[in-house]
Amino acid sequence: MGKLKKILSCVFVFALLLPVDLLGIQSAGPGIRFEEIGQKAGVRVVHHTRQYHGKNAEVLHMFTAGGAAVAVGDYDGDGFEDLFVADSDAGKPNHLFHNNGDMTFTDVAVQAGVAGGNDPNSIVADAVWFDYDNDGKPDLLVGRFGTPILYHNEGNGKFKDVSATSGLNKFGNTIAVIAFDYDNDGYLDLLFGNYFKPVNLLDLKDPHVLPNNLDAATNGGGVTLWRNTGKGTFEDVTEKAGLGKLSGWTLDVGHGDFNNDGLQDIYLACDYGTDHVFLNNGDGTFREVTEKATGWDTKKGMNVDVADYDNDGWLDVYVTNITDEYMKECNMLWHNNGDGTFTDVSKETGTCDSGWGWAAKFGDFDNDGWQDLFVVNGLRSAGPESYVPLMLPVITTPGLDITDVNNWPNIGNRTWSGYQKKRLFRNLGNGTFADVAKDAGVDNTFDGRGIGIGDFNNDGRLDMVQTNADQPLLLFKNVTQNAGNWIELKLIGVKSNRDAIGARIRVVAGGITQIREIDGGNGYAGSSSKRAHFGLGKATRIDRLEIKWPSGRNEVVTVPINRITSIKEGQGVVIR
Amino acid sequence: MNKKIYSICFALWLLFCLFPQSVQASEADYRQGIKALTENKYQEALYYFEQAISGDPDNARYANDYRQAALKAKDFERPLQFFQKALAEHPNSANLHLNFGFAHVDKIPVAGSITQVILANDALTEFTKAIEIQPTWIGYYTRGESYLFWPKIFNRASMGVADLEKAMEMQKKGPRHSYHVKVYIALGDGYWKTDQLEKAKAMWQAGLKEFPDNASLKGRISLQGDELKNLIEAGFDPAKRVNTDLSELWEN
Repeated sequence: MGKLKKILSCVFVFALLLPVDLLGIQSAGPGIRFEEIGQKAGVRVVHHTRQYHGKNAEVLHMFTAGGAAVAVGDYDGDGFEDLFVADSDAGKPNHLFHNNGDMTFTDVAVQAGVAGGNDPNSIVADAVWFDYDNDGKPDLLVGRFGTPILYHNEGNGKFKDVSATSGLNKFGNTIAVIAFDYDNDGYLDLLFGNYFKPVNLLDLKDPHVLPNNLDAATNGGGVTLWRNTGKGTFEDVTEKAGLGKLSGWTLDVGHGDFNNDGLQDIYLACDYGTDHVFLNNGDGTFREVTEKATGWDTKKGMNVDVADYDNDGWLDVYVTNITDEYMKECNMLWHNNGDGTFTDVSKETGTCDSGWGWAAKFGDFDNDGWQDLFVVNGLRSAGPESYVPLMLPVITTPGLDITDVNNWPNIGNRTWSGYQKKRLFRNLGNGTFADVAKDAGVDNTFDGRGIGIGDFNNDGRLDMVQTNADQPLLLFKNVTQNAGNWIELKLIGVKSNRDAIGARIRVVAGGITQIREIDGGNGYAGSSSKRAHFGLGKATRIDRLEIKWPSGRNEVVTVPINRITSIKEGQGVVIR
Repeated sequence: MNKKIYSICFALWLLFCLFPQSVQASEADYRQGIKALTENKYQEALYYFEQAISGDPDNARYANDYRQAALKAKDFERPLQFFQKALAEHPNSANLHLNFGFAHVDKIPVAGSITQVILANDALTEFTKAIEIQPTWIGYYTRGESYLFWPKIFNRASMGVADLEKAMEMQKKGPRHSYHVKVYIALGDGYWKTDQLEKAKAMWQAGLKEFPDNASLKGRISLQGDELKNLIEAGFDPAKRVNTDLSELWEN
């Protein structure tokens, strides 16, 4: 009887799904589900934003309430992704969570020598794993309001601070860092996004440090580009590369080959004003194409993630902005038209409103071949009163110097765009997304900042870390039932940089062609796994898999499905 | 018969003599502006309209058509600068303050989100000055409606309701005009925004009695809950251009 019931229910479910499939419309598919296991996994640490001292303490705190960052990377090469998690308050240690392989983690930051960084003159704000010396061991760059820290991976679970000899000695209020090989010389370079201009906020001499215009500010920190010399040092090439004139309040930086010419281009998301798009000239310089590519904007750009969401072979860009009761900016999903222009399709795709957005990351969470999008949000969740009405006189009083910290009211216990529900936009495969955050179990209301995505238990389903400002870290284990088939590729560069950052993988399977590029830290306050993950849906084989390495080499390889495979440049599949 | 002709001629001559020269010149400039506008010569049209307004700052038609021409030219900055300058010379012109306010409103859809707040606030300041100089139906309606655009968090909807109630009082005292329907819609929206749904519905119903074919009123009465909310809030989207053309006032 029970068996008959089961068969009948299966027939019923099949009958329900059949017409949908026949119409060629993406069915509801396996519902994406996550289980939050931060406590159980041993990673439930609370982030602390930097507390300032003196009469401007509250205002400075309000304008710098970030720093909750995560970097995903397998630092010890044991095949399991580990987590570096930043803290930001004075004396507070960072965390290096070693993955024990059973979805539990052990904090080894102190033993490893990477816990420091929040000294009296510096605030940790971002981090990225990257193998700067191509020795096969991921090194760690910690971006700070201050000077950066470069940790060399010594290979025995220990790291050595090599900042002093690295040349990375320039003070900046760095809030975002990516590693990529902009000149394709086989060594990873660094691009820093700087928020404030280079003044020490912790020892403020001049109070005129806040944005000079809230829609078109020109007194921010711009960016700094550091070229890896290949000798263990970096040189500042910002001016030489054509990026020296930028003075926006850069909140995030992202890279990708936007025009399919084999060179890494960049997108800069800026708070209080326009974002910027630069194409790589291939000679160590970039040219600004913002006007043609996207046009100038006045929004509060927070995040850059790059992915081909519609599987048309061109990388698109997702930028979060502020959308709330009092400000209706809308996010920007820049669809790459393939002709040097982008069209914002956030409204059409249903990805416009994610509140006060912070990090957003693409990932195929149900392995159906279409990349979904997780977005975190919320500035400050506190008492019942809102800070927003208090800002009105500051904004509207004629002649008031808004750059002066003294002219901004203290926030006290007020809330500012707080208690916002996170969004998980499931890609429906028809050019639109549906918010499934609630059903997926990720619609929490913490003050989100960063996202790190990776397959932490190597089961082929992408898991996520969500960092929150002044709140606990969340670890979401992907428990989606009946997710599709998958592959994960660990690329090892030989002539190219060892991390293969910038490599493009093209997979044809199940009638869909997908691309991924290995990125070096795209997305605000978080860098994800450098393994390329592809959902394959019901496809049981891959028709073609091509890799275009940063060196220019093209390679066609065959890999098994539902496996993690390592591929070495020029050697194909290798056993690790 | 001759006597009659003489009397008419005398009257016309008297009128010509009494009518200020500047006003005559303004009308000529205004006509030049209209002509240029029909020929899509926007910069020329703006110039003539500015001349016309300078000579007759209280002429609502001149100022309105100037702003509409600037909109066609997509020149949002010029009217702001012009009205500011004109107001320095004629600080007590309610018409100039009103149109200066509208010039701010005209720029809102192309401005950044924070600049939108500044423009909206400055517009309110000008509307208030216009009312202080000359409390008119259009002044109260305009300022009242403007208050409603502010998100709830700024607590300005109740001020909008107060203004719109005054506009309603004024329109009830005079002859009925087609544009009076706007106050029924806006005041209902104001009640809705201040959580007085029953009063809102009653206002829209009353409006529908006066203006039975009005689609906006019908829509509001037929909808409830989120659908009603979406309809009303869509009207307060700062990215959408508000129709600030006042020609209805003298055409109806």
